[in-house]
Amino acid sequence: MSLELTLHTAPTVPLEADILSPARLGGLSALAAAKLTVVYGNQPAELGEFFKVAGAANGELHLTGDLSRLKQIGAGMGEGRIVVHGPAGMHLGAGMTGGEIVVEGDAGDWVGPEMSGGRIVIKGNAGHMIGSAYRGSAVGIRGGEILVFGSAGNEVGAGMRRGLIAVGGDCGDFAGVNMLAGSIIVLGRLGWRTGAGMKRGTIVSMHPAELLPTFSYACNYCPPFIRLYLPYLSRLGLPVPDAQIAGPYQRWCGDAIELNRGEVLFLDTGEAALRG
Amino acid sequence: MGSSLRIVNGRVFDPANGVNGAVQDVCIQDGRIVADVPPDARKIDARGQVVMPGGVDIHCHIAGPKVNLARKVQPEDHRLDVHPRTRFTRSGTGGTVPSTFATGYRYAAMGYTSAMEAAVPPLGARHTLEELHDTPVLDKGFFVLVGNNVLLYRLLQEGRHEEFRQALAWWISVTKAYAPKLVNPGADEMWKGHRNANITALDQKIDSFDLTPRKVIAAFIEAGNELGLPHPVHIHCNNLGHSGNYETTLETMRLAEGRRAHITHIQFHSYGSVAGKSRDNPTSRAHDIAEFVNTHPNISADVGAVMFGHSTSMTADAPLAYMLRQFSHGKWVNADTEHESGCGILPFTYQDRNYTNALQWAIGLELFLLSKDPWRMVFSTDHPNGGSFMSYPRLIRLLMDREFRKEQMAKVNQKALEHCSLRDCQQREYSLYEIAIITRAAPARLLGLTQKGHLGAGADADVTIYDEDDDKERMFSTPRYVIKDGELIIDDHEFRADHEGRILHVAPDYDPEIERVIQPFFDDFYTIRFANYPVDDRYVRGGQIIPTTGQAAPAGR
Amino acid sequence: MGDEIKTVRDATCTFCGCVCDDMVLTVDVQNKRITKAENACILGKAWFREHAIEERPFALIGGREATTEEGVEEAAQILARARFPIIYGLSDTTCEAQRVAVAIGDMIGGTVDTTTSVCHGPTGIAFQAGGESTASLGEIKNRADLVIFWGGNPAEAHPRLFTRYAVTPKGMHIPNGKKDRTIVLVDVRRTPSTPVADIFIQVKPRSDFEVLWALRALVKGRKVDPSVEQRTGVSLAVLEDLVARMKSCRYGAFLFGMGLTMNRGRHFNSGALLALATDLNEFTHFVAKPVRGHGNVTGADNVVSWQTGFPFGVNFSRGYPRFNPGEFTTVDTLTRGDADAAMIIASDPASNFPKAAIEHLKRIPVITLDPKATHTTQLARVAFTTATYGINVPGTVYRMDDVPITLRPAFDSPYPSDEEVLTAIRDRVRELLGGNRLPVGTRPAPAVATS
Repeated sequence: MSLELTLHTAPTVPLEADILSPARLGGLSALAAAKLTVVYGNQPAELGEFFKVAGAANGELHLTGDLSRLKQIGAGMGEGRIVVHGPAGMHLGAGMTGGEIVVEGDAGDWVGPEMSGGRIVIKGNAGHMIGSAYRGSAVGIRGGEILVFGSAGNEVGAGMRRGLIAVGGDCGDFAGVNMLAGSIIVLGRLGWRTGAGMKRGTIVSMHPAELLPTFSYACNYCPPFIRLYLPYLSRLGLPVPDAQIAGPYQRWCGDAIELNRGEVLFLDTGEAALRG
Repeated sequence: MGSSLRIVNGRVFDPANGVNGAVQDVCIQDGRIVADVPPDARKIDARGQVVMPGGVDIHCHIAGPKVNLARKVQPEDHRLDVHPRTRFTRSGTGGTVPSTFATGYRYAAMGYTSAMEAAVPPLGARHTLEELHDTPVLDKGFFVLVGNNVLLYRLLQEGRHEEFRQALAWWISVTKAYAPKLVNPGADEMWKGHRNANITALDQKIDSFDLTPRKVIAAFIEAGNELGLPHPVHIHCNNLGHSGNYETTLETMRLAEGRRAHITHIQFHSYGSVAGKSRDNPTSRAHDIAEFVNTHPNISADVGAVMFGHSTSMTADAPLAYMLRQFSHGKWVNADTEHESGCGILPFTYQDRNYTNALQWAIGLELFLLSKDPWRMVFSTDHPNGGSFMSYPRLIRLLMDREFRKEQMAKVNQKALEHCSLRDCQQREYSLYEIAIITRAAPARLLGLTQKGHLGAGADADVTIYDEDDDKERMFSTPRYVIKDGELIIDDHEFRADHEGRILHVAPDYDPEIERVIQPFFDDFYTIRFANYPVDDRYVRGGQIIPTTGQAAPAGR
Repeated sequence: MGDEIKTVRDATCTFCGCVCDDMVLTVDVQNKRITKAENACILGKAWFREHAIEERPFALIGGREATTEEGVEEAAQILARARFPIIYGLSDTTCEAQRVAVAIGDMIGGTVDTTTSVCHGPTGIAFQAGGESTASLGEIKNRADLVIFWGGNPAEAHPRLFTRYAVTPKGMHIPNGKKDRTIVLVDVRRTPSTPVADIFIQVKPRSDFEVLWALRALVKGRKVDPSVEQRTGVSLAVLEDLVARMKSCRYGAFLFGMGLTMNRGRHFNSGALLALATDLNEFTHFVAKPVRGHGNVTGADNVVSWQTGFPFGVNFSRGYPRFNPGEFTTVDTLTRGDADAAMIIASDPASNFPKAAIEHLKRIPVITLDPKATHTTQLARVAFTTATYGINVPGTVYRMDDVPITLRPAFDSPYPSDEEVLTAIRDRVRELLGGNRLPVGTRPAPAVATS
């Protein structure tokens, strides 16, 4: 049995729903859960004013409806599972340390910012700043995984320190900007200015992209970790053809402005090598 | 205000009036300490509690253009330390550079009722005063940066000493400042005009001037004293942070030649070096510094202790901030102000495992423990450079509790302890009386605030009442009562009222003719009109002028 | 009393961020007009000329004429009721008014944002990421022997930036004025500013980031691929020449505009330029300054920063300031339809915001404070007519380089100032709410002890 929340009244202003995490709801009956306070704009409201609550909390939470105005779902969670049947709002899983969030629809901006563990899966598209740092901070995701089946926006993995971010579709500009380490895998196309300011870390794309003039081509090779990561992503449901697992990949080093120890890998499809 | 209050049964510590823990009444009427109040006055039963004047912070960075840049540059700090509003108090954010409302409330919540913003360029005076008005509870003022002022340098190098003095008085007066401040004198010209160079010696020629820091410092000490300012001069010496800089500090103090001079955050200026080793190996020379201060009654200092953890370096010493970049590779802010000052900002973390940081921490403690006159070696962390003001209670505990100090000493880089003599002065513990001196009575006296830092009749009714506690950090973190101008701001640990403190400033007399000397400089070189430069009275509404010696106290407050 | 003409010296023009304080205004007191503005540039002259007193109702409520007091009551009700009220604008009013606006935002648990978010907000974000090396304008006037304009057209938007501050004036270490300086201009096209430059570098649109990045690399002695020319339209040789000039100057200054902030890359464009200036300080003294638009936008940045810790886009919903551009900035809170009420002060978003944002403004109750009728006042539920800062209203403003200046108004206005109206609104909201709105989850305070 899990706790089932079905949206019956859509919020007209942002609803801050950090109460929606398995630990916070743990041990509560549906009735007790419905009485919990959420922040509706600038005033308190009860969860039950928006959701029909059924079942009992057992570590798994199912949310149904258009939750695109609900912010902070699963923020800070450390265990358990949340499934959102519909779109989810911003700050999904912010700072989470464990557990799993699955969103059947789209997610907003700031998916898993500064998270340190656990896994977030977005079946639809995600917005900007996934796995990123918040403004002013130098460090984004420090552990855990984010998988987006659709597309993602700008600044994917900004300031990433550790972990894995995978995007099934295209992503926007500045993927991996100021990256410290970690892995970003984009099965679709990258945008502009990938890896700007990266210190270490790996960014992989199945399509070539124009890179900054401070990146330079190193070699072609078949990176061993690709043969681990891509099948892993495939098992998690992302479409990864065998050719991508096989490679080879073009390896580009950068950012020369920093330590030049980062790498961007493009599947070598025989397309003319693009120059940044 | 009419309200009266009688505090009974508390142990009173009022060193300025020789009261050392006696249980006696403290009476308050109309915002002042009085000898007696009517029997129907509200009583506060302070049994088991300690009664002191409100704290006086002689040197902190809490308001103005430099502080605001430091605030703006660290949103990630603010996010982690929020300050919610209440029915009647404003919200804010914290970290090492809190927003203005949070600053005032948090100082008050530690029992502080007065503070001096330590460094403001004249062009930023208006800004500082606006921020101070949004800093609740505290009575406050600021020190105006004059030690790198280009026109004053021109007058000095031309030997126009009388005009120099008049111009200095003018500058302090029209900016509504409290005291003149020198920071790394001579360095501005080197930094801005000489491709980021610096001053490294008192007798070094200052780029494009026929002057040396020695001449400059001596001139300001002389003029500040001649003007009869309540706090004649406040000096951040050259060579801050450099190994071997203690010699510069001793030389600077010698320049005072018997006149009053205050050396600020003197811990940062007390370093020796290991003979034969690179200048990057500092050692402690706290002994020499403490010895000099002990034996020269005209010299005062605040320690500028370092506390481990996160801090923000924010200083008018722009070359220093740039130098710190090699230890802290993150954000950096530099801000030049025409003809007046520089500024450098850098988030910084002091680590107990790090040799230099541990040494700095130890030297701060040494200076306190070696001090023979607590009236002249007073409490500060140069907030937020050495540490946040929120660390004051911990520092107090380190001074009062040698067991605790010993525990902390065991955790730091041990090699650092070998290069200082902290172990030798480990036995000393500060008493409550001495703490009351270095955090209240002495700063007030050094600032010339005759109505603050004590509980004698006529004093401003700024009173803090702490629960007596063996854990001194806990004790000084949460006063039970804080009274400001006779009003109970904190009652039983809770905020009861918002309160706007007042601006304290000086208005030294000057010969209006000096404006004929100053104005052409503005017309040629400044980008603001001379007429628009002086700060008008609106910005100090409700404020209080502290007279210079020779001036009559203004009527009213 | 006959024709009374007075002269106001050392008055301040607040049309743009130059905030020139050397205006000599000739004022026809009788007719409440400024007839002459000596020292003003063409934009300043228009500013002073166009702000005469117009016959307008003190307030309009739902299009009906009303008194200021009636407007205050209606506005206070709207703000006290709203769950996600936003306050926006603030760059064309005094700091004194800005402080009250933030107080209201805090009190009601709303969101306070300024025009920075559509102008140099990206620079603010870049500053938060890396800091900056900056200076007051007088440093540039007196010391800068290399001045690089990037992504702006000062000749048309900030004329006296050239003539009073950064190009032509003689300075203490620049005795021959422009002759002692090298002026570089970088832009995607030629503009009326171009002739001022000794060196004009034309970059392909949307390639500033690559150019700045290549310059950073060259300054650090790192490798730059020659294909940068293809990408940016600027050859490696030109870049290397510029780097040599930058490293060897005595005091260098960048002055940059919306060409960087409002183009693809945004805060990264600003960030790259700020980082370049920072990097150059290893070799010589170098500063970078964003050229600010509206007169007191810098004041707004300062006030909001000191009161909250953050410069713009500040939300108070949960009882304390929170900052997140893209979430709490006004284009976003309107476009997403988050806001359920808005107070717009001295700004006209309905004339230039994205369509979806304007559509939402039409759906929610809007309060405006403005001396003039604008697109935004026209869709307002409550529109206050207020006096104009600097011309009628005294107070404090900040120049683009953070220098605070006190205004010298020219003539009185019958209308109240923004500060007066906001203060009245604040006081009424305080009555309605019984003080500041308590943050969600706060226990009410214990009863106050009485004496």
